[in-house]
Amino acid sequence: MPTFLYLARRVLQAVVVILIVTVVVFCLLHALPGGPARGILGPQATAQQIAEFNRQQGLDEPLPVQYLYYLRTLLHGDLGTSYTLNEPVAQLIEQRLPKTLVLTVLSAVVALLIAIPLGMWQAVRRNKPVDYVVTTLSFVAYSTPVYFLGLILVLVFSQLLPWLPAQAPQGDTLAQVFADPAGLVLPVVAGAASMIAVFSRYMRAATLENLSEDYVRTARAGGSRRNALLWRHVFRNSLTPVVAMLGYYVPVLFGGALVVEQLFNYPGMGLLFWSSAQSSDYPVLLGCVLVISIATVVGTLIADVVQRIIDPRVKAGRA
Amino acid sequence: MTAIGHSPGAAPEPILELDGLDVTFGTETGDVPAVRGVSLHVRPGETLALVGESGSGKSTVALAAIGLLPGNARATGRASVAGTDVVTAPESVLAGLRGRTVSMVFQEPATALDPLTRIGAQIAEVVRNHRSVTAREAHRTAVGLLRRVGIPDPERRASDFPFELSGGQRQRVVIAMAIANDPDLLIADEPTTALDVTVQAEILDLLRGLAAETGTGVLLVTHNMGVVADFADRVAVMLQGEIVETGPVEDVLLRPVHAYTRRLLAAVPRLTVAEQPPGQAAPALDGSGSGSGGSGSDSGQEDGPRSAPASTSAPAAATAPADEPATDVPAVDSPVVDLRDVRVVFGRGARAVRALDGVSLAVRAGETVGLVGESGSGKSTAARVALGLIRPTGGTVALFGSELRRTRARDRHALRSGIGVVLQDPVASLDARMSVAECVAEPLRVHRRGMPAKERQELVAGVLERVRLPRAFARRAPRELSGGQRQRVSLARALVLEPRLLVADEPTSALDVSVQETVLEVITELQGELGFACLFVSHDLAVVQHFAERVVVMRDGRVEEEGSTAATLLRPTTDYTRRLLAAVPVPDPVLQRRRRTERRAALAADGSGAGA
Amino acid sequence: MSAVLQPGQSPGTGPLADPPGDTAGAVGPRLMVRRFTRNRLAVAGLVVIVLFLLFCFAGPLLHPTDQTHTTLSQVNLAPSARHLLGTDAVGHDELGRLMFGGKVSLLVGLAAGLLATVIGTLWGAAAGYAGGWIDAAMMRVVDAGIAIPALFILLVVSAISTPGVFGLVVILGLVSWLVPSRLVRAETLTLKNRDYVHTLRAIGGTHTRAITRHILPNSVSTIVVAATFQVADAILLVAYVSYLGLGVQPPATDWGGMLSAGLTAAYSGRWWLILPPGLAVILVVCAFNAIGDGLRDAFDVRGRA
Repeated sequence: MPTFLYLARRVLQAVVVILIVTVVVFCLLHALPGGPARGILGPQATAQQIAEFNRQQGLDEPLPVQYLYYLRTLLHGDLGTSYTLNEPVAQLIEQRLPKTLVLTVLSAVVALLIAIPLGMWQAVRRNKPVDYVVTTLSFVAYSTPVYFLGLILVLVFSQLLPWLPAQAPQGDTLAQVFADPAGLVLPVVAGAASMIAVFSRYMRAATLENLSEDYVRTARAGGSRRNALLWRHVFRNSLTPVVAMLGYYVPVLFGGALVVEQLFNYPGMGLLFWSSAQSSDYPVLLGCVLVISIATVVGTLIADVVQRIIDPRVKAGRA
Repeated sequence: MTAIGHSPGAAPEPILELDGLDVTFGTETGDVPAVRGVSLHVRPGETLALVGESGSGKSTVALAAIGLLPGNARATGRASVAGTDVVTAPESVLAGLRGRTVSMVFQEPATALDPLTRIGAQIAEVVRNHRSVTAREAHRTAVGLLRRVGIPDPERRASDFPFELSGGQRQRVVIAMAIANDPDLLIADEPTTALDVTVQAEILDLLRGLAAETGTGVLLVTHNMGVVADFADRVAVMLQGEIVETGPVEDVLLRPVHAYTRRLLAAVPRLTVAEQPPGQAAPALDGSGSGSGGSGSDSGQEDGPRSAPASTSAPAAATAPADEPATDVPAVDSPVVDLRDVRVVFGRGARAVRALDGVSLAVRAGETVGLVGESGSGKSTAARVALGLIRPTGGTVALFGSELRRTRARDRHALRSGIGVVLQDPVASLDARMSVAECVAEPLRVHRRGMPAKERQELVAGVLERVRLPRAFARRAPRELSGGQRQRVSLARALVLEPRLLVADEPTSALDVSVQETVLEVITELQGELGFACLFVSHDLAVVQHFAERVVVMRDGRVEEEGSTAATLLRPTTDYTRRLLAAVPVPDPVLQRRRRTERRAALAADGSGAGA
Repeated sequence: MSAVLQPGQSPGTGPLADPPGDTAGAVGPRLMVRRFTRNRLAVAGLVVIVLFLLFCFAGPLLHPTDQTHTTLSQVNLAPSARHLLGTDAVGHDELGRLMFGGKVSLLVGLAAGLLATVIGTLWGAAAGYAGGWIDAAMMRVVDAGIAIPALFILLVVSAISTPGVFGLVVILGLVSWLVPSRLVRAETLTLKNRDYVHTLRAIGGTHTRAITRHILPNSVSTIVVAATFQVADAILLVAYVSYLGLGVQPPATDWGGMLSAGLTAAYSGRWWLILPPGLAVILVVCAFNAIGDGLRDAFDVRGRA
């Protein structure tokens, strides 16, 4: 299939998914106590104000019509206004999103750099003591709630051993964030732990599967040695599914950021979301959900395209 | 290529020598011995065929000889390749040996190559494993090798990925990797089993040529006696991990000594061949050819009772015209299944594939129609259309006289009780969660819902006996059965409603020949008793020749040729069928050698021999 | 972290996403038991779960404590012979509280994990069997669900209302059925192309029969494995829920609630308020994951790695 056709189809799919997300968010909006009017006018609004607002905004019209109105405002980039911070939601997110991206991308990179070699190593040493130890550690890392892990990290590395700050870098600009790299260590570790667990398990399975493939036997019959097999053949073949998986991991990364930012007081989107939840600032909450979902959809899209680039078979449409 | 005499003094030192080789697999259910005390040798320039049925341990011997046994295998004894004992050699020594002194060609070209690495690079890797050359030189060598194995336009194809090649071409690439460093020993494990016959013939020609050029010794592992006859100088027959007979190919195939070898050869369905098309024919040769085949034990085994040409030899050519192959359809009774101008298109737009393109075929009551063709010819698709599993894009399908598209759902349901189905895969055909009885009873549950359990059990037990399985099998789980037993359970399920039509899609192609023979016998016998019609899909022309009265040859989604089996498979009217028949190797080395020469001559005359 | 797309399942339509040439169902029950018991981590997991069930449900009989009334004279006591794990900020015996909260965590986790599996199985089986545009549409819904991080949804819900235990189960089930639905769909796609299903369809068997007699029974191993992992994820999610402010209300509690209540205490050195519930969560979630791992090997199915 030609690339543009593929892209067009894939983008169309992504648009459909985003539309479904907007329906979910729209439903949540209507599940709010008092409905969207309360959400927009704030908790102090009287019943009369709400009724007036509903009539003005067409909120007494049938839901499908309202949904179209809602889509129209979204298309204009209007996510509403925060009623605690009195700023447009879009603007708030614009300020905070880059910082969250820094945190999540750093965590993801660190996690992958550790997990991929670790998983391959485990596969090569399958069922040896070291495999069991790493497997057990992966289970533990996966099973530890991020906030508990963060707490332990702070207790050990900043209270017991005063090596690292317990608070993430503060400040509004990225420059300020990068000015304090020590402050990023614990948040990044906390954010990366369960991802290391998931991806090392995944890489281990993919490597094992590829090691038993016929082509490995063919290469061995040609006199290739183990390292050549692993790095020239097995590594690349195992990586393809990992890349595809990465797209789907984006929401988990954001979920982790939500907790990590709150725990280390890192002023990103997660913290914004958290504080908005405490103050029931619905426009911000729903705006964030929408933005993160779109980020996920785009992430999956990118993962698919990357996969198409590294695996020639996908491009040819035969698998 | 003639058999090398048995004078040890004159013969060169063996390149491969196995001496008392034992291999045991440690499995979850305990140790399983796979190879027991195998001793054999291969000398430079000769081909030893290791034949046997599945589970005989022949592939394990091949893997042991190159030190590629899986991790749970334990080998003892000696397996020496060019003086190195691969049983005891450490991995580093083996890596130095593999690809240079000994290489291997595997069965499954679809999976034998790294899907993400260009084929040129994969060949170059083998070159560089053993020679200190630059990447550029290795690449040039790879291109040269691709040319040598007959890949057209090798400069360009070197940068193709494996998926861009056909199965035959992929096997050529695997062969190129195997011969990259001119090994002294080539091990070929079922190298053509996954390929169509015409491709098989080309690959065998290629291997033969390469081995002859360089004096390479070949250990050929195969279950196909035709391939043995075509390729081998000597033969070793394996049964349950042991070699039961060894000898020159003519001796073993034509004058077998061991009872198992005789049984095996007797079970091989033989293609009865007519000689050259009129004009070139030399009828005398035919008599001598099949005479040498008949002098073995096979003459009593031509068991296709209804296939006219079973009485081989020259008169067949004389009697055939009486059948009038072109217009032998008197249309006495209406067909049980009738496909008219059926088209099937998979996918849409640019990627659409025409699986069937205007196919018409009919099966009349009580008759057996063989549907043959190579992979991708659409034969299975046609069978699935007949079964109603695939809705045709165009054309009509009539079952027992009712056109399916115009039939109401309830009537269609009733019509289907007249169909029995046996599909290819013995494992996937039976639901592993059911007992044999439940599997066989399923059609009853669908069409005879009110039937009392007692009666149902009786019926199931009865039909099991009919397919020659003990009644007690009813309680077993499918996993406890062998492949042949499973296929007979499938057959029992197909016949429990006493259908008017049996559709069998490659029912025996996953089975060993001896098992295949039993299954075909059972079908034939029951067809005699129950009188159902049969649509028999197969890639095996010999089986179809014995089994079917009429044959339909398909190619690229179209019907290439059809007619009575006797006429069509003896005197085909299209070049394609002729080529197909010529490519089938017969298990008689003398006859096969002549067929091979004739086939080459015909290809040379056509000038269209290239490309797999 | 229920939205984690688990390894071993094939996301998207990658070339390596093809179902393996599997031998599902070709393994006898005895061999399954042997395979499971050979996996030492899985056996350990099973033991851990049994011990925790005994601890939470039979433990209070041996160690009865008052978990409803506050005892302000006995707050923040360090571990001692009388209170093996000390007391919390309102004077509850911490050991007793661990049993008390464990009941909620285990029950809610089990129920939510099973609910998610049921929803996911039905959705995935329907999509996979229907195929075509119905499948495409249903899977877009799953994609959308995966795109919305579960923690965010839960936090939004917590801002709107505070559900009871039953409501909690439903909410957790609703945010975590997506992964099992993808697994079951993939399995259904494989199974509906099995020759025995083709054979059944050819002789006139109904869709209902194909689904109930062949596809569902043969998916059981996949579903059981998915359910085990789903329970593990749900228990983990329950631990997040209190942290997000959605948890069960005092005086009831669960391990997550104990953890978030103890967070500040931990900074002042009262480790006994945070380590026991934290380790309990980790142990139980690990145990379910290990069991799932063992079951997957025993059944020889593809699940997550």
